[in-house]
Amino acid sequence: MSEKAKDPGIFGQLFGTFFSKHWPVWVGGIVLGLLNILLFAIHSPWGASGGINNWGENLFQTFGIFGINGTTPVWLSLFGMLCLMLVIGSFMGALFSKEFALRVPPRGEMVKGFIGGGLMALGATIGLGCTIGSFFSGVPALSGGAIIFTIGLFAGVIIALKYLIWEMEKYPRFSAGKSYTFLAVKPGKGSWQVYLGWTVLALVLLIAWLYSGRNPVMTWFIIIGLFMGMISQRSRFCIVKAFRDPFMTGESDGSTGVMAGLMVTLVGFTAIKFFGIGFDDPTLRMREMTWIFPHFWGRALIGGLIFGLGMTVAGGCAVGTLWRVGEGQIKLWFAALGFILISPLSNMFIVPAINEIFPQTMRFRAFLPDYIGYAGAFALVVALILLWYWFVKWNEKTGRFTAY
Amino acid sequence: METKFDQTLDCKGLSCPMPMMKLSKAIKGMNQGEVLEMLGTDPGTKSDLPKWCEKTGNEILHEEALDGGIFRYLIKKN
Repeated sequence: MSEKAKDPGIFGQLFGTFFSKHWPVWVGGIVLGLLNILLFAIHSPWGASGGINNWGENLFQTFGIFGINGTTPVWLSLFGMLCLMLVIGSFMGALFSKEFALRVPPRGEMVKGFIGGGLMALGATIGLGCTIGSFFSGVPALSGGAIIFTIGLFAGVIIALKYLIWEMEKYPRFSAGKSYTFLAVKPGKGSWQVYLGWTVLALVLLIAWLYSGRNPVMTWFIIIGLFMGMISQRSRFCIVKAFRDPFMTGESDGSTGVMAGLMVTLVGFTAIKFFGIGFDDPTLRMREMTWIFPHFWGRALIGGLIFGLGMTVAGGCAVGTLWRVGEGQIKLWFAALGFILISPLSNMFIVPAINEIFPQTMRFRAFLPDYIGYAGAFALVVALILLWYWFVKWNEKTGRFTAY
Repeated sequence: METKFDQTLDCKGLSCPMPMMKLSKAIKGMNQGEVLEMLGTDPGTKSDLPKWCEKTGNEILHEEALDGGIFRYLIKKN
């Protein structure tokens, strides 16, 4: 701190703009929203749980467990690669800002990470979606099921937050104890992290280029995924935070950041669906029904609730888990592991029973414009976002629903 | 360099939301004017803590980066 910093130069200053401080969450939200629109225009909207499930299936297949076979390899799965790039992009962002370190929490936290990840996998497989597919993409995709999933998420978050507070009061030792940090650097030192960051960027661009001849969609998914990971890490874009913090400290910045992203995405997605903009869907109807999952409303409600419980206990939603993995938070490594291991198991042993009650048929796919028109659906989503905005701001001022 | 404090809170290794939850609880149990030392490793704290202090009226007296990626804050309860 005491030594005089040397002049970073013009490009050094530009670099500092991105990597010396965290970005406001709303900046992250808006840019992620724009990239999400781009993903949809190229192929289909952003999703996370499908990609993580793909990792899990590949893992089981590699070890020949439960006879899973015929899984798409990760390197050919658009969403498997998108999720992988989120981790790598966050790793790169953390390196550029010298924030990467392996942070090993007390043992109880790792247990909570694993359980939270497992619950997220259950919620995602039962409810057909996660905080990305059935919320951050699903709501702007004008899906009725996504709105129900969101209600489930809120309920799950509130219940799990009560649990966390109870645990901290009754069993404070569960989240205390020995912790370790490796590879951390002090400010002004540790240039190796920045050099490694550039190496990662160069390697990913090379990989993206290798795909470009045969699979240009994958090239775009790789590059967009990389930047989505980096932006999430820099802005600490986290959907659990958006849902939870108003009920915890009353803070609303995380929530308004997510709302900004939702609004941008809503405009883009509505236009894409309305005009049928896009590439390989043979009919306008198929384009309209993209990301309208057959989970209205029972599956969405139950799945959202379980997912909400899981993400709060883990301290990271689907995307929040992935970027914290890249940043080196070991608790979230356990959450990712829980998600990866439980997701294929749930699909094999639990989802078939759920399908008996709520079959995945057209009857359960609720595309809002079918009922209230495009203008009505758009207005409904805007109204819901405004209502949420009013709530978090009012609550921030009055502290009515905050725990502290 | 500020060194005086009344209580210390170890949040090393913890990730969001645990540091802010533990901090809120610890500050709640302190008297006005007392100072809490908080140690942590979650980069999220760097943006969460100033916002929280602004909202609650508590004050960051001192912050520094220690070896091993540990941040140290001294927070005064107002």
